[in-house]
Amino acid sequence: MERQEIIDGLIEVLKTVRVIDPEKLVGVTEETDFLADMSVPSSQMIAIVAKVEQKFGIEFEDDDIDDLGLTVKDVVDLILKVKARG
Amino acid sequence: MGGAFPTCKDLSEFSRKLFANQSLIRTFDDAMAYEKQFRSTVSGFITESEMDLEVIWDPMEGIYPETYVDKLNRIPDTNLATSDVGSIWSMIAAQNAIKMAGWSTDLVQSERTGVVIGSGGSANLILRNGWHNFYVFGRKTRHSGGHTVDRTMTYREAANVSVLIKNKGVCETISSACATGLGNIGYAYRLIKYGLQDRAITGGVESTSLETFIGFDGMMVLSRGFSPEESSRPFDMARNGFVCSFGAGIVALEEYEQAVSRGANILGVIDEYFNNSDGDGDMFYPSFAGQQRLWKGLLAGSNEKPDVVKVHGTSTPSGDAIELLSVVDALGEEGYHLSAPKSQFGHMLGGAGAVEFIAALLMLAEQKVLPCLNSPNLNPELETFQKNPDWNGPLKPLAAYRHLLPQKSFSKPIHSIVCLNYGFGGTNSALKLSRYDK
Repeated sequence: MERQEIIDGLIEVLKTVRVIDPEKLVGVTEETDFLADMSVPSSQMIAIVAKVEQKFGIEFEDDDIDDLGLTVKDVVDLILKVKARG
Repeated sequence: MGGAFPTCKDLSEFSRKLFANQSLIRTFDDAMAYEKQFRSTVSGFITESEMDLEVIWDPMEGIYPETYVDKLNRIPDTNLATSDVGSIWSMIAAQNAIKMAGWSTDLVQSERTGVVIGSGGSANLILRNGWHNFYVFGRKTRHSGGHTVDRTMTYREAANVSVLIKNKGVCETISSACATGLGNIGYAYRLIKYGLQDRAITGGVESTSLETFIGFDGMMVLSRGFSPEESSRPFDMARNGFVCSFGAGIVALEEYEQAVSRGANILGVIDEYFNNSDGDGDMFYPSFAGQQRLWKGLLAGSNEKPDVVKVHGTSTPSGDAIELLSVVDALGEEGYHLSAPKSQFGHMLGGAGAVEFIAALLMLAEQKVLPCLNSPNLNPELETFQKNPDWNGPLKPLAAYRHLLPQKSFSKPIHSIVCLNYGFGGTNSALKLSRYDK
């Protein structure tokens, strides 16, 4: 799975989260920060993680989530790592 | 004041239907989906679309509202994300109450403004998903949603209203089963009376919930065997249970002198609030002695009769008889009328006392008594408990008090109204309300 394909899927997930301003989802790059750039309420992060798991058909370990950074790159890296782990 | 009322778009439609002697009770669609598992299938309920809300169902199982969309843009998405549907009703009703009260943003966001709102039950629709995902599907806790706590905590309605309006005074809930609605208003009244707050957004809520309905249906205490509009029949001989209903009532209370000096449109004045417990060791059965003490505490030696007694009047066999006889015991056989709004919209549980308080305010405004529908036949015989040698109440049958119970709305001068509500656990609440005389 290509990185851009994952980013596109991630943006599809973020579009379903109503507290995120859709204008903040324009021009998202791997360096985009969920809190600083997208103004995602921190209380919504866990809902986004759960939606990402469903979207990509994977399940994160608790440690994966505890150690997860706040940029798009961090999420893309984790998805690829979990997919590789099988 | 504001609220969520079955089959009504707004407060004016609610008022119009009540004074037109209409019933707001319908066949409960949610219960009909499981018809064989229920005894009773009638309710005064409110759907999301009737409140101009859209449900966004969870994408995993489609069994719980991940969040709501307010099609009229009254409530921001961030507030909707932390709410169950009862909290949304409360926020919309609070906005309407504040607008009607004419409070400025500075007044609303003051340290002297409190929020005191409660409900009787749980946010079942949210919890349903949480427990189902965990126990049945064995999923991680995060798949129950990150807002299970804030959307289901006991004082969720008060918390969500407070976060929305940004008051800086108290934010609390009072929970006392079916006396919750009046209990919250009474507690908020005391906060103002004792000088702790100058104003409060207060009331009670019970959000439409099949789980709540299941609980009462399982107790076999719900009305059965009548058409929906004839199912709630307080004091009638054929009554066989209450109608489990849902709704919300929110009012803006303000310290009297401040409201007068502000030139506020004062809808009513609370003269007194009193509450107590039966103290007889019984969870469910109403207590004549407890209600005698309730009246004594409320009237505090005054001989002034209210023009109307807005009764609890649930349509249950024992509750109605005890209540009617305790009112007669306190006020005598004439000089007032009883109004039983549950005959029109059923029993809204934690919302009942607050929505019925609003019905009382409407009676003051319209100078009309709301009826007790579906009560054509009162028992001409003594109740069994009246034959007990220890009985110390009125010795006439309920039929002797026919003249107190109007079957249709009618006009008369109304200066004061007493509101009564009781709840499981033997809790009793009474509030005296008067018309504001300029």
